[in-house]
Amino acid sequence: MPIYEQTYRRHEARGALRRVRFWPITREALRLILARRAFLALLVLAWLPFVARVIQVYVVTRFPEANRILPVDGRLFGDFLVQQTVFSMFVTIFGGAGLIANDLRTGAILVYLSRPLTRRDYVIGKLGVLLALNLSVTLLPGVLLYLIALALAPDQFWTWSLAWLGPAVVLYSLVVSLVMSLIALAVSSLSRSARVAGLSFFGLVFGLEVVRNILRALYHRPETALISFQASLQSLAVALFGLTNRAFTLPWTLPAAMLAAVAVGCLLVLRARVRAVEIVQ
Amino acid sequence: MDEAPLVEFKDLVVSYGPVQALSGVSGAFPAGPTGLLGPNGAGKTTLLKTLLGFLEPDRGMINAFGLDPTKRPLDVRRRIGYMPEVDCHLPGMTAAAFVAFAGELSGLPRDEAISRAHEVLYYVGLGEARYRTVDTYSTGMKQRVKLAQALVHDPDLLLLDEPTNGLDPAGRDEMLALIRDISERRQMSLILCSHLLRDVEHVCESVIVFNQGRVAASGRIADLTGPRRAVYDVRVKGDPTAFLTDLKDHGCEWREGEDGYRVIMSDGFGPELIFRTARESGVQVRYLRPGAETLEDVFLRALGEEVTR
Repeated sequence: MPIYEQTYRRHEARGALRRVRFWPITREALRLILARRAFLALLVLAWLPFVARVIQVYVVTRFPEANRILPVDGRLFGDFLVQQTVFSMFVTIFGGAGLIANDLRTGAILVYLSRPLTRRDYVIGKLGVLLALNLSVTLLPGVLLYLIALALAPDQFWTWSLAWLGPAVVLYSLVVSLVMSLIALAVSSLSRSARVAGLSFFGLVFGLEVVRNILRALYHRPETALISFQASLQSLAVALFGLTNRAFTLPWTLPAAMLAAVAVGCLLVLRARVRAVEIVQ
Repeated sequence: MDEAPLVEFKDLVVSYGPVQALSGVSGAFPAGPTGLLGPNGAGKTTLLKTLLGFLEPDRGMINAFGLDPTKRPLDVRRRIGYMPEVDCHLPGMTAAAFVAFAGELSGLPRDEAISRAHEVLYYVGLGEARYRTVDTYSTGMKQRVKLAQALVHDPDLLLLDEPTNGLDPAGRDEMLALIRDISERRQMSLILCSHLLRDVEHVCESVIVFNQGRVAASGRIADLTGPRRAVYDVRVKGDPTAFLTDLKDHGCEWREGEDGYRVIMSDGFGPELIFRTARESGVQVRYLRPGAETLEDVFLRALGEEVTR
């Protein structure tokens, strides 16, 4: 049996740089996050509304009279995804608060940026983590619910008039996931503590919602929705899924523009914070 | 190892806004171990940043392995292993996973990265502890894991920034022995950035001394500290002011030592000058011992010349 000395040997084979350089970053961060039982419990919890909606669709297909108290149409998906936005926030807080903050605290950012990686690779790698987590509680259950609805009630959903539902589910899930992920990453890059970043994200999202509610109570105008991320997303859902909620009824371009501006702002913060020139201290 | 230099820089000017951090420096890091010395703010870090492609020079050129880091930073970085001064680890990750991850980030295929991570961790003496999370490591172990992550992809050039920071004397000797082994037996070139001159002397063959954004001295340590000028450790009784002034007038340099003065004689003079000057200045020589010029002398002289320039 050969005996090898456990020592350092030169590595001769140096291949070309891989094209998808951010993937190891996403994969390892997901592995670390999903190893936490509390986080898995949160993901399970986030899927409970999906189960409830499937039951709702099933009940209505078996007992059509139930449609009067449990309406099953395009609004079902809008309501479901607006509900999932809350889980998306919690998943983002627990999964994303430390993504950059921890790297800054432990110096791990040096490990990334002194490698053959660009700043963009680093940010995309981290963004991939949050997108994957967010899409797992928005897009995945949303599309699955749509497919189940098509299978259980084809007469109701397999029509041209509701053909927009599938793309709307995909589009809204992507917008929610992207906006949440970018805000969380930007906030995470502003602190060296995951706890502070998490609390800041929570404060930003829920704090602005409180302010919006106060302004709404004072002025009774739907434009107040634009100062809160949550309400802007809800306004977009109202426009996309035909929901009827006067508090959020705005032309879709306004919340879309606001959310786009937030996303660009977050990217600028990330660009300023993740600077390679600062890593060699 | 007398080959073409790995890193060359010529007339390099790098600024942070209005502040010029490197003022037209030229030099080269040959293959083999080279020390990078200089006080804080001397420009060492700026040179490293430029070498890694993080900063763009205002003027001049820098190339590493024949590549321009400003144009092809990724190709340069994949051939460099960087061991930072500060702590760096991923919370919750074992050393084996962390080093393998670092290898993957450098472009190694996953299987190869895992296999090399284990090898490298054995090599740096963490074989038994490789499945512990890095958060639970002592300072010495963290330094070793930092070295392992810098080595995992087998770089052509290792940048070591204060590798003995925070280590006790035994740990420091072990780390230096490891670095020497990397350089001598594994034939890996390295740049050792340290303020501990003894570490640089112990490991490196050449040195570049930076001061105030300029290269104050550079060359082989043996040449810089060679027996070109006599050095004496001197202790005198009486007021030394006149004695020291007279020595300076004769072209000698001196600095305060641990218990007296270290006098670097001007060319062609020996101890008789010290005795004569002492007699003329009215002081008594109580101790005189010949010494060799150390890297510290070279360093301090280089800084002194830069300051008076």
